[in-house]
Amino acid sequence: MSVAKTLVGRRRANLEIREPMGLLAKSLVLLVSVLIGLAVSVCILIASGVSASDLWNEFIVYIVTSPKNLSAVLVQSVPLMIAGLAAAVAFRARFWNIGIEGQMIFGAIAATYIAINDLGPEPMRLVLMFMAAAIGGIGWILLPAILKIKLNINEIISTLLMNYIAFNFLLHLLYGSWRDPLSGFPNSQQYDALEVFPLLGWQSLNFSMVISLFLVLFVLWLFIFSRFGFVLKVLHGNSEMARSLGIRIGLVVLLVTALSGALSGICGFVISAGIESRMTQSFFVGFGFSGILIAFLARDNPIGILIVSVLFATLVIGGQSLQVFYQIPFAMVQLIQAIIVMCVAGSEFFIRYRIAILR
Amino acid sequence: MQHIAEQKSYIKMEKITKSFGGFLALDNVNFDLRRGEIHALLGENGAGKSSLMNVLAGHYAPDSGQVILAGNAVDITGPSEARALGVGMVHQHYKLVKTFSALDNIALTVPHGAYLPGVRNLRSKVVTKMKEIGFELDLDRPVGQLSVAEQQRVEILKVLVGGASIIILDEPTAVLTDEESTGFFQTIEKLSDAGTSVVLVTHKLREAVRYSDRITVMRGGRIVDTVLPGDITDDQLIKLIVGEVITEMPELSESMGDEKLSLQKLNLASVTGVMALKDITFNIRAGEIYGIAGVGGNGQAELAMLLMGLIEPDSGTINLAGHGDITRLCTGQRRRCGLVFIPADRQRYALAGELSVAENYAVSGILRHEYGGWLKVNRRLVRRLAAAAIEDFDVQGVRHLNQNAAILSGGNAQKLVIAREFSSLPSVVIAHSPSRGLDLRASAAVHEQLRRARDTGAAVLLISEDLDEVMLLSDTIGVINRGEIVAEFSSPADRQKIGKAMVH
Repeated sequence: MSVAKTLVGRRRANLEIREPMGLLAKSLVLLVSVLIGLAVSVCILIASGVSASDLWNEFIVYIVTSPKNLSAVLVQSVPLMIAGLAAAVAFRARFWNIGIEGQMIFGAIAATYIAINDLGPEPMRLVLMFMAAAIGGIGWILLPAILKIKLNINEIISTLLMNYIAFNFLLHLLYGSWRDPLSGFPNSQQYDALEVFPLLGWQSLNFSMVISLFLVLFVLWLFIFSRFGFVLKVLHGNSEMARSLGIRIGLVVLLVTALSGALSGICGFVISAGIESRMTQSFFVGFGFSGILIAFLARDNPIGILIVSVLFATLVIGGQSLQVFYQIPFAMVQLIQAIIVMCVAGSEFFIRYRIAILR
Repeated sequence: MQHIAEQKSYIKMEKITKSFGGFLALDNVNFDLRRGEIHALLGENGAGKSSLMNVLAGHYAPDSGQVILAGNAVDITGPSEARALGVGMVHQHYKLVKTFSALDNIALTVPHGAYLPGVRNLRSKVVTKMKEIGFELDLDRPVGQLSVAEQQRVEILKVLVGGASIIILDEPTAVLTDEESTGFFQTIEKLSDAGTSVVLVTHKLREAVRYSDRITVMRGGRIVDTVLPGDITDDQLIKLIVGEVITEMPELSESMGDEKLSLQKLNLASVTGVMALKDITFNIRAGEIYGIAGVGGNGQAELAMLLMGLIEPDSGTINLAGHGDITRLCTGQRRRCGLVFIPADRQRYALAGELSVAENYAVSGILRHEYGGWLKVNRRLVRRLAAAAIEDFDVQGVRHLNQNAAILSGGNAQKLVIAREFSSLPSVVIAHSPSRGLDLRASAAVHEQLRRARDTGAAVLLISEDLDEVMLLSDTIGVINRGEIVAEFSSPADRQKIGKAMVH
């Protein structure tokens, strides 16, 4: 089924729609496109004055050989992974959740509220904070979800705007009643020892890693095995068909967005209780869009999200040392992310079409 | 004018072969077209008609073979080259930008120079052309607001104003009413009298025999024969198309039971895009096929959606024997009462193209909790039952259960929908134009399934714009006109009287 043609010399190159690809072939195309994206990024970095050997050292050698750096990468990958899951879950219901950061803020606020006020029995404190974070995230996505379901109000706009409300409310708290009484800085006070994740006993790796792996497995089960996941797949495939089969679309979307909000809230919580031990005014910055990119690159596949978020974390950690030692701006890391995303988006073309040379 | 049969061919396609990933769609096909003739191209779904015409219109590049136009070999490398050679195609699914006006849609494909003066010029050209062939059309309304017949006129104008001397029409009357079709063919005859060559790709024998100068029949990617319409009987033609004679005979229900589904004074107010329904009242008995005849757009779609619970009536009740009043039940609850639905637009309402064939089959069963608990969908069972159903319902073209449903042809897609809908014993079947776009063989298979459902005691509501289909299958026929059931007949009914009620 050819689409367009060009004359190449006397031969004719013809663009044809492929038979649907198998998973293996698709993964291979994805891998190649990621490698091309990395290659382009390397060229740009070399052009901006970092030698190839330095890049090799910073991104591969220092990370693989130094347990400290490796654990930093893994710790960094935890919130990225959860944000990626939050995005993927919403996308499966074709709900474009741009408000992950706002939901992260409210997740962290809810968890911090428990921490500051020392609510509940001490051994249960982290569990309570976890649950509060999930509920906080759900609370912040509920309004856009209901507006979408009941009035068909575009969730891209509403969730995005909810981010700004959340951010300003966060500032209100941190410059107001929640300002750290000890330092006077606009942070929350530091969490108590029992309010931060226990270390797992290897470098800086903490319990949040276990949580994120559990969440990956949970979403994997949800998408691949559960009945609800199947319903979700039908809804994603053709919502009109889902409706005429008697699937209650509003209910499914509500449940899915709630899960996405809960994951976002937990994402905020694992940063405040796993990395910063307090709530700062910028803990969430960039995670929303990184989550969306990760979900996109991984094609909403939880295992893919696991892999891509470790790759992203490597970029972030490697990028930090470039910033410190080579005066390369952090924007370069974002540039690399963008290049990889564009390469992968472009690879879609080769998954769908093939080029046939006719005589 | 010289008689067409004696003319030499104007365009010739020689030894055209085209394959798609190992599947041979066209096998060494020769086809020719004379100036000013209407040439019907008949064949079942997948016979290669559309592929052949797509080669001519520059959409597909053939693997081998050549096209000769007025004695010279031409290289049609793309749609714009085809257009430059005077070949224009009106596709079955219109290629229009819904938010653009008719004129802007025409401007998109016809070169016109600078936009504003160019479009002004184009408008006068289009208006002249419209007068010439007797079209009426509001050129400034967004195409999305035009009726299907009007949208088709936009497509035809696109081709004509572009200067086409050869027009390919792919299933042009599939979505038109009888009346609209008649008007359409008057236009086509005018065009051919003026020297335009027309290829008419169609399923409808009656049209081919009545309006064409020659008929070419394709089967399995090959040309079977080219005949003159006066030289052949319908039965012979059918035999050429399907390789055997298929004639369906009416078979009335043998045992009708008590009232199963009863509609009482259902009303629906009219809003934009929705036809109002007025006091719809009728009963369907168990073991009865109740046919709704009518010109398309008289409330058929609304009636079907109302019964499935996809829209709510303003007043009135729907009663189902054994379940009582189901008027307020949602779609899922109605399906649990045994209602099944075969919608007119199966791609939109009944299939998910990117899901596999097996998943499209099993979805209703999974929703009925027949494939394991909420923790795990039993994929092995899905594959096993889907494979069995594909066998039972003769769904062809399934090479692998995991392949996307999007690649099934119309007839096989419909068989898959029916297999799913009949995967549990239905108590009420609501079928809306179930054989639209299907070839004779597939239609017969669909009709057989409806009769089988009837014979197991289901109440079957057949809503169809095809009067032949309604008359063939129904035990009772209601006629819908402007949202009202205006007449009711018992089979065998008088075709004339039904037709009169439809347009009265």
